[in-house]
Amino acid sequence: MESGEPQGELCSRRDPVREDMALQRKVWRFERWGWYGLLLLVALTLGGLFSKGPLSEAQVHSADGQVRVEYQRFLRNGASDTLVIHLRGQPNTALEARIEGELLQGFNIEMLQPQPLKASAAGQGVKLWVLSDADGQAVLRLNLRSDGVGRFDTQVALGAGAALQFSQFIYP
Amino acid sequence: MDSVLRAAAIYLVLMVLFKIAGRRSLAELTTFDLVLLMVIGEATQQALLGDDFSLTNAVLVIATLIAIDIGLSLIKQRFTWLARVLDGGPTVLVEHGRLLPERLKRARLDAEDVLEAARSAQGIVELRQIRFAILERNGKISVIPYE
Repeated sequence: MESGEPQGELCSRRDPVREDMALQRKVWRFERWGWYGLLLLVALTLGGLFSKGPLSEAQVHSADGQVRVEYQRFLRNGASDTLVIHLRGQPNTALEARIEGELLQGFNIEMLQPQPLKASAAGQGVKLWVLSDADGQAVLRLNLRSDGVGRFDTQVALGAGAALQFSQFIYP
Repeated sequence: MDSVLRAAAIYLVLMVLFKIAGRRSLAELTTFDLVLLMVIGEATQQALLGDDFSLTNAVLVIATLIAIDIGLSLIKQRFTWLARVLDGGPTVLVEHGRLLPERLKRARLDAEDVLEAARSAQGIVELRQIRFAILERNGKISVIPYE
Protein backbone atom coordinates (compact mmCIF):
# COMPACT_ATOMS: atom_id res chain seq x y z
CA MET A 1 0.00 0.00 0.00
CA GLU A 2 1.32 3.41 -0.84
CA SER A 3 0.97 5.70 2.10
CA GLY A 4 2.12 8.97 0.59
CA GLU A 5 0.18 9.35 -2.65
CA PRO A 6 2.48 10.75 -5.28
CA GLN A 7 -0.46 12.09 -7.34
CA GLY A 8 -2.30 15.27 -6.58
CA GLU A 9 -5.92 15.12 -5.62
CA LEU A 10 -7.11 16.25 -9.00
CA CYS A 11 -5.10 13.67 -10.95
CA SER A 12 -6.91 10.67 -12.38
CA ARG A 13 -6.74 7.42 -10.42
CA ARG A 14 -6.46 4.07 -12.14
CA ASP A 15 -7.14 1.96 -9.08
CA PRO A 16 -9.74 0.95 -7.92
CA VAL A 17 -11.61 2.64 -10.75
CA ARG A 18 -10.42 4.33 -13.87
CA GLU A 19 -11.15 8.02 -13.55
CA ASP A 20 -11.18 10.84 -16.04
CA MET A 21 -10.49 13.81 -13.86
CA ALA A 22 -10.15 16.21 -16.77
CA LEU A 23 -13.74 15.45 -17.71
CA GLN A 24 -14.87 15.38 -14.08
CA ARG A 25 -13.44 18.84 -13.52
CA LYS A 26 -15.31 20.05 -16.57
CA VAL A 27 -18.49 18.53 -15.12
CA TRP A 28 -17.88 20.29 -11.81
CA ARG A 29 -17.19 23.53 -13.64
CA PHE A 30 -20.44 23.08 -15.57
CA GLU A 31 -22.32 22.51 -12.30
CA ARG A 32 -20.80 25.65 -10.84
CA TRP A 33 -21.61 27.86 -13.83
CA GLY A 34 -25.00 26.24 -14.03
CA TRP A 35 -25.65 27.30 -10.46
CA TYR A 36 -24.69 30.88 -11.31
CA GLY A 37 -26.92 30.63 -14.36
CA LEU A 38 -29.86 29.51 -12.25
CA LEU A 39 -29.29 32.38 -9.83
CA LEU A 40 -29.22 34.80 -12.75
CA LEU A 41 -32.41 33.30 -14.14
CA VAL A 42 -34.17 33.69 -10.79
CA ALA A 43 -32.95 37.27 -10.47
CA LEU A 44 -34.11 38.14 -13.98
CA THR A 45 -37.46 36.52 -13.30
CA LEU A 46 -37.84 38.59 -10.15
CA GLY A 47 -36.86 41.61 -12.23
CA GLY A 48 -39.61 40.84 -14.70
CA LEU A 49 -37.83 39.59 -17.81
CA PHE A 50 -40.45 36.85 -18.06
CA SER A 51 -43.49 39.06 -17.47
CA LYS A 52 -44.83 40.78 -14.36
CA GLY A 53 -42.03 42.84 -12.89
CA PRO A 54 -40.26 46.18 -13.22
CA LEU A 55 -38.55 45.18 -16.48
CA SER A 56 -41.85 44.15 -18.00
CA GLU A 57 -44.36 46.75 -16.87
CA ALA A 58 -44.44 49.75 -19.17
CA GLN A 59 -46.64 52.53 -20.39
CA VAL A 60 -46.72 54.81 -23.36
CA HIS A 61 -48.69 57.95 -23.95
CA SER A 62 -49.38 60.00 -27.00
CA ALA A 63 -47.74 63.40 -27.45
CA ASP A 64 -50.97 65.26 -26.74
CA GLY A 65 -51.64 63.12 -23.64
CA GLN A 66 -55.01 61.96 -24.88
CA VAL A 67 -54.17 58.27 -24.90
CA ARG A 68 -52.11 56.33 -22.39
CA VAL A 69 -51.60 52.58 -22.45
CA GLU A 70 -50.31 50.41 -19.63
CA TYR A 71 -48.96 47.10 -20.90
CA GLN A 72 -46.54 44.26 -20.23
CA ARG A 73 -43.47 44.12 -22.45
CA PHE A 74 -43.09 40.39 -21.86
CA LEU A 75 -45.84 37.83 -21.72
CA ARG A 76 -46.07 34.08 -21.73
CA ASN A 77 -48.07 31.97 -24.11
CA GLY A 78 -51.30 30.85 -22.48
CA ALA A 79 -51.11 33.28 -19.57
CA SER A 80 -53.54 36.15 -19.19
CA ASP A 81 -52.87 39.74 -18.42
CA THR A 82 -54.54 43.14 -18.47
CA LEU A 83 -54.00 45.93 -20.95
CA VAL A 84 -55.27 49.28 -19.71
CA ILE A 85 -56.11 52.08 -22.14
CA HIS A 86 -56.69 55.54 -20.68
CA LEU A 87 -58.53 57.94 -22.95
CA ARG A 88 -59.17 61.64 -22.46
CA GLY A 89 -61.64 63.66 -24.50
CA GLN A 90 -64.87 65.59 -24.16
CA PRO A 91 -66.93 64.89 -21.00
CA ASN A 92 -69.87 62.51 -21.31
CA THR A 93 -69.29 61.64 -24.93
CA ALA A 94 -68.54 58.44 -26.72
CA LEU A 95 -64.80 58.23 -27.27
CA GLU A 96 -63.61 56.16 -30.14
CA ALA A 97 -60.62 53.92 -29.40
CA ARG A 98 -58.91 52.36 -32.39
CA ILE A 99 -56.84 49.29 -31.77
CA GLU A 100 -54.79 48.23 -34.74
CA GLY A 101 -51.83 46.05 -35.47
CA GLU A 102 -51.11 42.57 -34.28
CA LEU A 103 -52.90 42.61 -30.93
CA LEU A 104 -55.78 40.51 -32.15
CA GLN A 105 -53.41 37.96 -33.70
CA GLY A 106 -51.31 37.44 -30.60
CA PHE A 107 -54.03 37.64 -27.98
CA ASN A 108 -57.56 36.55 -27.27
CA ILE A 109 -59.60 39.27 -25.67
CA GLU A 110 -61.31 37.48 -22.81
CA MET A 111 -63.05 40.43 -21.24
CA LEU A 112 -63.58 44.12 -21.87
CA GLN A 113 -64.36 46.49 -19.06
CA PRO A 114 -66.47 48.55 -19.35
CA GLN A 115 -68.48 47.00 -22.16
CA PRO A 116 -68.12 49.35 -25.12
CA LEU A 117 -71.22 51.15 -26.41
CA LYS A 118 -70.52 49.62 -29.77
CA ALA A 119 -67.69 47.98 -31.57
CA SER A 120 -66.79 47.66 -35.19
CA ALA A 121 -64.17 46.02 -37.33
CA ALA A 122 -61.46 48.30 -38.66
CA GLY A 123 -59.15 46.50 -41.05
CA GLN A 124 -56.93 44.24 -38.97
CA GLY A 125 -58.15 45.77 -35.73
CA VAL A 126 -61.24 46.99 -33.95
CA LYS A 127 -62.89 50.26 -33.06
CA LEU A 128 -64.52 50.55 -29.65
CA TRP A 129 -66.69 53.37 -28.36
CA VAL A 130 -66.67 54.07 -24.65
CA LEU A 131 -68.54 56.76 -22.76
CA SER A 132 -66.26 59.18 -20.92
CA ASP A 133 -66.99 60.38 -17.39
CA ALA A 134 -67.69 63.96 -16.26
CA ASP A 135 -63.96 64.76 -16.43
CA GLY A 136 -63.70 63.45 -19.97
CA GLN A 137 -61.77 60.36 -18.90
CA ALA A 138 -62.43 56.80 -19.91
CA VAL A 139 -60.49 53.76 -18.85
CA LEU A 140 -60.76 50.62 -20.94
CA ARG A 141 -59.46 47.39 -19.47
CA LEU A 142 -58.78 44.48 -21.79
CA ASN A 143 -58.23 41.09 -20.26
CA LEU A 144 -55.96 39.35 -22.73
CA ARG A 145 -54.83 35.78 -22.99
CA SER A 146 -51.61 35.37 -24.93
CA ASP A 147 -52.05 33.05 -27.85
CA GLY A 148 -48.96 33.15 -29.97
CA VAL A 149 -45.21 33.33 -29.80
CA GLY A 150 -42.93 36.20 -30.77
CA ARG A 151 -43.20 39.92 -31.11
CA PHE A 152 -46.49 41.70 -31.64
CA ASP A 153 -46.75 45.41 -32.48
CA THR A 154 -49.95 47.22 -31.63
CA GLN A 155 -51.20 50.73 -32.31
CA VAL A 156 -53.81 52.49 -30.23
CA ALA A 157 -55.38 55.82 -31.11
CA LEU A 158 -58.20 58.05 -29.98
CA GLY A 159 -60.53 58.75 -32.89
CA ALA A 160 -58.62 59.98 -35.88
CA GLY A 161 -55.78 61.26 -33.69
CA ALA A 162 -52.18 60.14 -33.80
CA ALA A 163 -51.63 56.50 -32.93
CA LEU A 164 -49.26 55.43 -30.23
CA GLN A 165 -47.36 52.25 -30.73
CA PHE A 166 -45.99 49.57 -28.45
CA SER A 167 -44.65 46.10 -28.90
CA GLN A 168 -44.98 43.04 -26.75
CA PHE A 169 -43.05 39.80 -26.73
CA ILE A 170 -44.72 36.49 -25.95
CA TYR A 171 -42.54 33.63 -24.71
CA PRO A 172 -43.44 30.12 -25.76
CA MET B 1 -46.55 18.59 -34.05
CA ASP B 2 -46.41 20.66 -30.91
CA SER B 3 -46.75 17.57 -28.69
CA VAL B 4 -43.40 16.33 -29.98
CA LEU B 5 -41.78 19.75 -29.67
CA ARG B 6 -43.06 20.21 -26.14
CA ALA B 7 -41.86 16.80 -25.03
CA ALA B 8 -38.45 17.30 -26.65
CA ALA B 9 -38.04 20.74 -25.09
CA ILE B 10 -38.98 19.50 -21.64
CA TYR B 11 -36.69 16.50 -21.97
CA LEU B 12 -33.78 18.76 -22.88
CA VAL B 13 -34.49 21.32 -20.17
CA LEU B 14 -34.85 18.69 -17.47
CA MET B 15 -31.67 16.98 -18.59
CA VAL B 16 -29.68 20.21 -18.40
CA LEU B 17 -31.21 21.18 -15.04
CA PHE B 18 -30.48 17.81 -13.48
CA LYS B 19 -26.93 17.92 -14.86
CA ILE B 20 -26.53 21.25 -13.10
CA ALA B 21 -28.00 19.77 -9.92
CA GLY B 22 -25.36 17.05 -10.05
CA ARG B 23 -25.55 13.32 -9.70
CA ARG B 24 -25.94 13.43 -5.92
CA SER B 25 -28.99 15.68 -5.82
CA LEU B 26 -31.69 13.05 -6.00
CA ALA B 27 -29.69 9.88 -5.48
CA GLU B 28 -30.48 9.61 -1.80
CA LEU B 29 -34.15 10.47 -1.61
CA THR B 30 -35.14 12.14 1.61
CA THR B 31 -38.79 12.77 2.33
CA PHE B 32 -38.35 16.33 1.19
CA ASP B 33 -36.62 15.29 -2.03
CA LEU B 34 -39.60 13.10 -2.81
CA VAL B 35 -41.97 16.01 -2.31
CA LEU B 36 -39.72 18.22 -4.42
CA LEU B 37 -39.72 15.63 -7.18
CA MET B 38 -43.49 15.50 -7.16
CA VAL B 39 -43.73 19.29 -7.33
CA ILE B 40 -41.33 19.32 -10.28
CA GLY B 41 -43.54 16.75 -11.97
CA GLU B 42 -46.57 18.89 -11.33
CA ALA B 43 -44.90 21.98 -12.78
CA THR B 44 -43.77 20.04 -15.83
CA GLN B 45 -47.16 18.52 -16.53
CA GLN B 46 -48.77 21.74 -17.75
CA ALA B 47 -45.94 22.60 -20.09
CA LEU B 48 -45.97 19.08 -21.48
CA LEU B 49 -49.67 18.95 -22.21
CA GLY B 50 -50.59 22.58 -22.75
CA ASP B 51 -54.35 22.94 -22.76
CA ASP B 52 -54.86 19.70 -24.62
CA PHE B 53 -55.95 17.01 -22.18
CA SER B 54 -56.90 14.48 -24.82
CA LEU B 55 -55.86 10.85 -24.66
CA THR B 56 -54.12 11.25 -28.00
CA ASN B 57 -51.95 14.07 -26.73
CA ALA B 58 -50.96 12.11 -23.63
CA VAL B 59 -50.00 9.11 -25.76
CA LEU B 60 -48.03 11.29 -28.18
CA VAL B 61 -46.13 13.03 -25.39
CA ILE B 62 -45.29 9.78 -23.60
CA ALA B 63 -44.29 8.10 -26.86
CA THR B 64 -42.02 11.03 -27.73
CA LEU B 65 -40.35 11.01 -24.31
CA ILE B 66 -39.66 7.29 -24.49
CA ALA B 67 -38.50 7.55 -28.10
CA ILE B 68 -36.01 10.28 -27.16
CA ASP B 69 -34.80 8.19 -24.24
CA ILE B 70 -34.25 5.12 -26.39
CA GLY B 71 -32.68 7.22 -29.13
CA LEU B 72 -30.29 8.83 -26.70
CA SER B 73 -29.21 5.49 -25.28
CA LEU B 74 -28.56 4.20 -28.81
CA ILE B 75 -26.51 7.28 -29.62
CA LYS B 76 -24.59 6.84 -26.38
CA GLN B 77 -23.85 3.26 -27.32
CA ARG B 78 -22.47 4.39 -30.63
CA PHE B 79 -20.50 7.39 -29.37
CA THR B 80 -18.90 6.45 -26.08
CA TRP B 81 -17.52 9.95 -25.54
CA LEU B 82 -21.09 11.25 -25.38
CA ALA B 83 -21.96 8.60 -22.82
CA ARG B 84 -18.99 9.69 -20.74
CA VAL B 85 -20.01 13.34 -20.96
CA LEU B 86 -23.66 12.66 -20.11
CA ASP B 87 -23.22 9.96 -17.51
CA GLY B 88 -19.88 11.00 -16.07
CA GLY B 89 -17.58 8.55 -14.37
CA PRO B 90 -16.86 7.33 -10.86
CA THR B 91 -14.84 9.55 -8.53
CA VAL B 92 -12.69 8.32 -5.67
CA LEU B 93 -13.44 10.20 -2.46
CA VAL B 94 -11.48 8.22 0.13
CA GLU B 95 -8.19 6.57 -0.61
CA HIS B 96 -6.57 4.25 1.94
CA GLY B 97 -8.48 5.74 4.84
CA ARG B 98 -7.68 9.28 3.80
CA LEU B 99 -10.28 11.80 2.65
CA LEU B 100 -9.67 13.75 -0.52
CA PRO B 101 -11.07 17.10 0.65
CA GLU B 102 -10.77 19.02 -2.61
CA ARG B 103 -12.82 16.39 -4.42
CA LEU B 104 -15.41 16.30 -1.67
CA LYS B 105 -15.74 20.05 -1.83
CA ARG B 106 -16.24 20.10 -5.57
CA ALA B 107 -18.75 17.26 -5.39
CA ARG B 108 -20.59 19.23 -2.66
CA LEU B 109 -20.13 16.44 -0.11
CA ASP B 110 -18.55 16.15 3.30
CA ALA B 111 -17.06 13.45 5.49
CA GLU B 112 -20.45 12.82 7.05
CA ASP B 113 -21.92 11.73 3.72
CA VAL B 114 -19.09 9.23 3.24
CA LEU B 115 -19.45 7.90 6.79
CA GLU B 116 -23.19 7.60 6.38
CA ALA B 117 -22.70 5.46 3.31
CA ALA B 118 -20.05 3.44 5.13
CA ARG B 119 -22.36 2.79 8.07
CA SER B 120 -25.37 1.82 6.06
CA ALA B 121 -23.55 -0.33 3.51
CA GLN B 122 -20.68 -1.90 5.42
CA GLY B 123 -21.28 -1.25 9.10
CA ILE B 124 -18.10 0.78 9.21
CA VAL B 125 -17.91 3.64 11.70
CA GLU B 126 -14.45 5.03 11.20
CA LEU B 127 -12.77 6.59 8.23
CA ARG B 128 -9.54 4.65 8.66
CA GLN B 129 -11.39 1.37 8.11
CA ILE B 130 -12.31 2.53 4.63
CA ARG B 131 -9.98 1.48 1.86
CA PHE B 132 -11.85 3.28 -0.87
CA ALA B 133 -15.02 5.30 -1.03
CA ILE B 134 -16.20 5.99 -4.55
CA LEU B 135 -18.89 8.36 -5.74
CA GLU B 136 -20.59 6.35 -8.44
CA ARG B 137 -22.23 7.62 -11.62
CA ASN B 138 -25.69 7.27 -10.12
CA GLY B 139 -24.72 9.48 -7.18
CA LYS B 140 -24.43 6.71 -4.60
CA ILE B 141 -21.28 6.30 -2.55
CA SER B 142 -19.86 2.79 -2.53
CA VAL B 143 -17.48 1.87 0.25
CA ILE B 144 -14.75 -0.74 0.05
CA PRO B 145 -13.36 -1.68 3.48
CA TYR B 146 -9.95 -3.14 4.31
CA GLU B 147 -9.94 -6.91 4.34
